Parts: sequence; C-alpha cells; structure tokens
Amino acid sequence: MKTRREFIQGLILSVGGAATLSACGDNAPAVMATAPNNPGRFYTSDEMLLVNRVADLIIPETETPGALQVNVAGYLDGLMTDWASAQTQEEHRLALIRLRVDLDAAVSGEFVSVSQADAEAALAALDARAFESDQSLQGYRTLKGWITQAYFATEAGAVQELKWVALPGRWDASVDINPA
Amino acid sequence: MADFDAIVVGSGMSGGMSAKELTERGLKVLVLERGPEIIPERDYTDNLNPWEKPNLDSVPQDEIAEHYPRQYGGVAYAIKESTKHFWVKDSEHPYEEAEGTTYDWLRGYHTAGRSIMWSRQTYRLSDLDFGANQREGHAIDWPIRYADIEPWYKKVETFVGISGSAEGLPQLPDSVFQPAFELTDAEKSLKASVEGAFPERNVIPARIAHLTDATEEQKELGRSNCQVRNHCHQGCSFKAYFSSLNATLPAAERTGNMTLVHNAIVQSVEYDAATNRVSGVRVIDALTNEKRTYTAKVLFLNASTIASAMILLQSKSETFPNGLANHSDQVGRNLMDHVSGANASGYLSGFDNKTTFGRRPSGGIYIPRYANLDGQDKPYRRGFGFQGGATSVGNAGGQIPGIGRAFKEAHRMPSAWRIGIGAFGEQLSNPDNRVTLHASKRDKWGNPLALFNVKYSDNEYTMLQEASKDAVAMLEAAGCTNITATDVNLTKPGNRIHEMGSARMGRDRDTSVLNGWCQAHDVPNLFITDGSFMTSAGCQNPSLTYMAFSARAANYAADLIEEGVL
Repeated sequence: MKTRREFIQGLILSVGGAATLSACGDNAPAVMATAPNNPGRFYTSDEMLLVNRVADLIIPETETPGALQVNVAGYLDGLMTDWASAQTQEEHRLALIRLRVDLDAAVSGEFVSVSQADAEAALAALDARAFESDQSLQGYRTLKGWITQAYFATEAGAVQELKWVALPGRWDASVDINPA
Repeated sequence: MADFDAIVVGSGMSGGMSAKELTERGLKVLVLERGPEIIPERDYTDNLNPWEKPNLDSVPQDEIAEHYPRQYGGVAYAIKESTKHFWVKDSEHPYEEAEGTTYDWLRGYHTAGRSIMWSRQTYRLSDLDFGANQREGHAIDWPIRYADIEPWYKKVETFVGISGSAEGLPQLPDSVFQPAFELTDAEKSLKASVEGAFPERNVIPARIAHLTDATEEQKELGRSNCQVRNHCHQGCSFKAYFSSLNATLPAAERTGNMTLVHNAIVQSVEYDAATNRVSGVRVIDALTNEKRTYTAKVLFLNASTIASAMILLQSKSETFPNGLANHSDQVGRNLMDHVSGANASGYLSGFDNKTTFGRRPSGGIYIPRYANLDGQDKPYRRGFGFQGGATSVGNAGGQIPGIGRAFKEAHRMPSAWRIGIGAFGEQLSNPDNRVTLHASKRDKWGNPLALFNVKYSDNEYTMLQEASKDAVAMLEAAGCTNITATDVNLTKPGNRIHEMGSARMGRDRDTSVLNGWCQAHDVPNLFITDGSFMTSAGCQNPSLTYMAFSARAANYAADLIEEGVL
C-alpha cells in the first residue's frame, strides 16, 4: 500500500509537477507552488495533504483541470496566511482536525491513503451529512466554499470550466440552451 | 478682486455638474476636493481578471476590523481588495452616533466622490413627490414643482446617458433614454403576471446611468457603450457608466475654465456682514495641514448632505452664531435616507432551457411606486419602489451538496431561475433627525466630528411591513415557488447612501435654508445643490435630481453674475 505522501505525490506528478501549478500569467497572485508533502506558509504538511486530497475529490480533473491541477490548496494556504484573522485560522485548523477524524473513521484507516473509490465514498457521505443537518460539519462547508471559490478564481476554473468572458460586449437576455 | 468667479466645494455627483455648467457659461471655477486625485489609468481596477485578484479579492479580516468596520458593515458587497481605495478608512474619518441611535455614513473622499461607487439607478421625481408635503400638511412645501425642473432633467439626462424604457407613468416620468437592458424571460413572465394581477403596478427595466447608444458628445468625452462586464464598483475604463470623473469633470476641464485642487478640506466659509455675501472658503491641506483661503463671487456647496451642513455649522459669525445661513435653525436637520429591509425571493420554473449572455450591471427590474398614488389608500404615507431581477442562478460559492464531476459541472450549468426584489421606501422628514457638530471630538485636522441622531418613524416601520407582504404577493402571483421573505429589518439610516435634507428648500426663510433655486435665503451668493436641498425624499434614487437641480442653480447663478446681481 502506498503511503499517503506517495499517493498524493503520484497525483501531482501525473498532472505535470508541482512547479507548474501556480503559473497563470504575469499578474497572477503569489500562490506558492506547493507540493503535497511540503508544508505551506500556513498549512502543515499533513494539513496540506488533506486539503489537496479533499479539493481533488470535490473538483476533480475532467475535460478541464481540477482543483489539484490548479493548486487550490496553495491558494487556500495563501488565503489563510494573508487574509484570515487569527480566529479564522484557528477555526479552520479545528475544522481540518474534525474533518480528518471523521474521514479516517469512515475508512477505518488513513483517509488520504485509501483508494479513490473509498475516498470518494467517505467524502460523499460526509458531504451529504454536512448539507443535511449536521451543524458540526460547518467547518467543512466553509472549506468546500473556499475550495470552490478559489478554483473558479483561477484562470482554468474561470475560463475553461465556467466559460467566463472578460469582455462580453453585449447583453443577451434570452439565450437558448443547446441540450447537446 | 476674487480669485475665481465661483468655488465649487466637492467634485462628486452634484459638484461635477455644478462645475460643468458654471464653466460652460464662461465662469472661472475652482473645484475643491477634500481627497486625493483618482487617475483612471492608475486607480481603476476594472480590467483585472478574477485570477489577478488574490485571496478571492477579499480585504484581510484584520484590516477590515482596524480600518473599515463601519464601511464594510454597510456595503461589504462593494469593499474588496481591488476597490477599498474608493472608500474612506473609518480609522481616519470617524463619526459619532447619539445614544440609542445608529447611522451608516458610507463614503469615499477622492476625485468624483461617490459617483465612482454608486449603483447608477436613475429616476426622476414627479409632482407626486414635489406636492407630497403640501397635500399631507407635513413639514413644509417644496417651493417648486415638476414643471420647473423637467427641462433640467432633460438636459442632464441627455449629457449623462440613461438606459431605460419609456413607460408613460405619471409617478415616474420618463427620462431621455438610451436603449434599456432587455428583461430576461423570467422577468417578462413576472411582468405579465404582476401587471395582470395588480393593474396599478408595473414591472419595468431598471433605469441606469449606462451608455447603450453613446451620443457624439459622449464619444467626444472618451465615453463608449457599456461592455456588460458588471465591474462597475472597480471604476470603468470605458467610461460607460456615468461618474463625474467619466463625464462632467472632463467636460468642465475642456472649457479651460476649471481649476481642480485636491486634498483641500474646507473648514469654514468666510462671510462679509457688510455686503451680506460669502467671500470665500478657508481650507486645510489634508496632506500638509497648510491653511489657505480662496475667494470667489459665488460659492456652491456640493460637499454632500452631511459635509455641507457641517461646513455651514462650522462657519459661525456674529450675524450667524448658529452657523452660516442658519437663521431658520434647519441646517443639519431633516436628515433623510431611503429605507430598505423588505426583501423577498422565489424560484420561477419554465425557463430551464434559457440562459443569458453578458453580466448586466446594477439590477434588472424596477417596480415603481404604486402606493397612495391617488390619495391615501394605505396604512402608511408615501410609498416605495422595488428593485430586483431574475437570473438563472449559478451555483457559486460551493454551497450545494455533492462532490466530483457532477458538483463541478453544476457550476456552469444554468440552474433554477430565482427572482428577488427589495423595497426602497421614502423616509419622512423630521427636524429631530439631524447631524450636529460633536461638542468635543475632532478629527486629525481639528474639524469637529459629525454627531448623528436619526431614528425612523412608525411610518417607515409600517411601510416596510406592508412592502414585505406586497413582495410576497407579487411573487406568488408570478407563480414563484420556494418563496422566502426575510424578517423585516430596516436598514440603518444612511445605509442606502441617499442622504438628503440637511439644508432644505422652501419659500420661507424662517423654516427653510434655501429658496427654490438652491440659493440660501440668508446669503444670496451661496448655493447648495447636493442632497441637502431636498425637502422630501421621494422613494427614487436621488442622484439624477441632485444633478438637475445643480444644473438649474448653476445657470441661475451665472445669470445673476451676468446681470451684475452677484
């Protein structure tokens, strides 16, 4: 069985290496080119592993890059360092602890090292609970919100996935959706 | 010999128009702006892409707490890392509230003032508004009627550029329009349902100060049509939405008659009792603390409703011991805003095969006032309009269940159409609602802090409760599902950023500060054409009215100068 670090490192290498992750233009924000087995400015190496794994499961690579490929974990590491107050940082740390405990329990082992199918099942079940009534998972919902917003704030997320257009130039109030 | 023909204090919405009109009449005009210069090429951030704005464009939480607690508390939606330089730091510009009251004084000190950050909704008042006080015996009557201001609305609108649709509604007269932003299919459905169920109500395209068919004059000023980016809080490099920096100040500049001085905080107005004229203003430089005086034949106060009143109150003399032009004791009183807090939303089905293209700026629909149009028929006085819109909701923010491909792709798939509307209601004037000078607290330039004492009356509470019920009824009539109406919770006074009334106009110098020309009853060469002059608030967004009155007053003052009266 792979170690958790080997597992995530394999994912990173499969998408071209950590060094390429933050490159998105001359004016791009300073997001560290994080590797999952390295700590960030805020995250410990274990936290970085967990956020990377969860982000990859929430927004996977499809026909467009996913959260792992665009280094959402690195984005969040910057967000926690440069934006979050001490209270927000602390709440986020506690949320990650809670998340790790829940997910490890769900897989009866180490969540970040289990198979893709097992990880998906565990996180999907936790996600469902978080959006039903489990208030103790509010920290997860916050994390999911940040992951999603950070992903769509990247060039790949905005342009490739959302089809965001910088200069629409016109307003069309009624556009037929092509089912194809 | 005066330094200038006229001094205009403030470069924002009304000051820009005063400057334009005065300079175009050939007068030499000094415009004093208390804040720093905004240079669009340097300071607008509208061309940044999402990935060029770190940290989700959020201002660090500690910085919010230290510098922007009130501004952010009032308009969190507008204060981002890319826009925070357009808003004052509360830490540098504090104010006080009387015990038991709250007030949102939300503002920006720089070239063009809040005309850079406004939401651009643009509506005329009507005689329903100008005659309201008289009909009800409330406060004092406006000294003018719609016919007096109608030509000036027309002149200003032609210059500004308003997108909208002619509707022929007497309570909301049509402006000079450029093409409206078309309603979405869901909005058209709402319109048909609401107008069918409630014949006295109308659902119309929001009227906004965006160019959609720029005129030659607008093009000559470097303005072009709206690009439908909805980046307006970050400035507009296309100059497509109106601001004084995008339009009136460049128009004044090209006459060669304008001198614009930044970082000049007006502390008081100089008054000559022998001639009963103001002779100039005393300013302190915001950066160097240097004090100096500028003189002119005519003074226009356009510093904003709060600031203009404070300048008058700070200008005490033997003749005016309670503040300049304050024989009536009305300066600083009757402070009004619009009031919101009645909102409802719901989902419309039947449009799942429809989406939109472009990011329409500043809302989509307006439901003009329908209450008390032909006499008093509601349990409250005056009325409200609704602003809102219907869009295909994206799944932004990650707050939907699910993970993986389906979750990811849900964000680009159009989802349910949600319609939301919120009321903007008229606040009745009340002389006890006022801003005064704090007795002891000063800002870092030694100027007294503003002390607010403003409370809503029962009328505003009753009105908003009824507005909430009306909102739900309209959404029900439209066939909405999952309708939610938040508990009515009135916005803080000031929160709508439509301050009005602190130097109201009227016919009697004992009960009003200004006459029907925005000219001080007490001092003939003093004009105030920011929101201070408003005798009542209406429920319409007021910037257009400020500009129309500014243009009218400026041309009147120019006439008086030509005639040798001033």
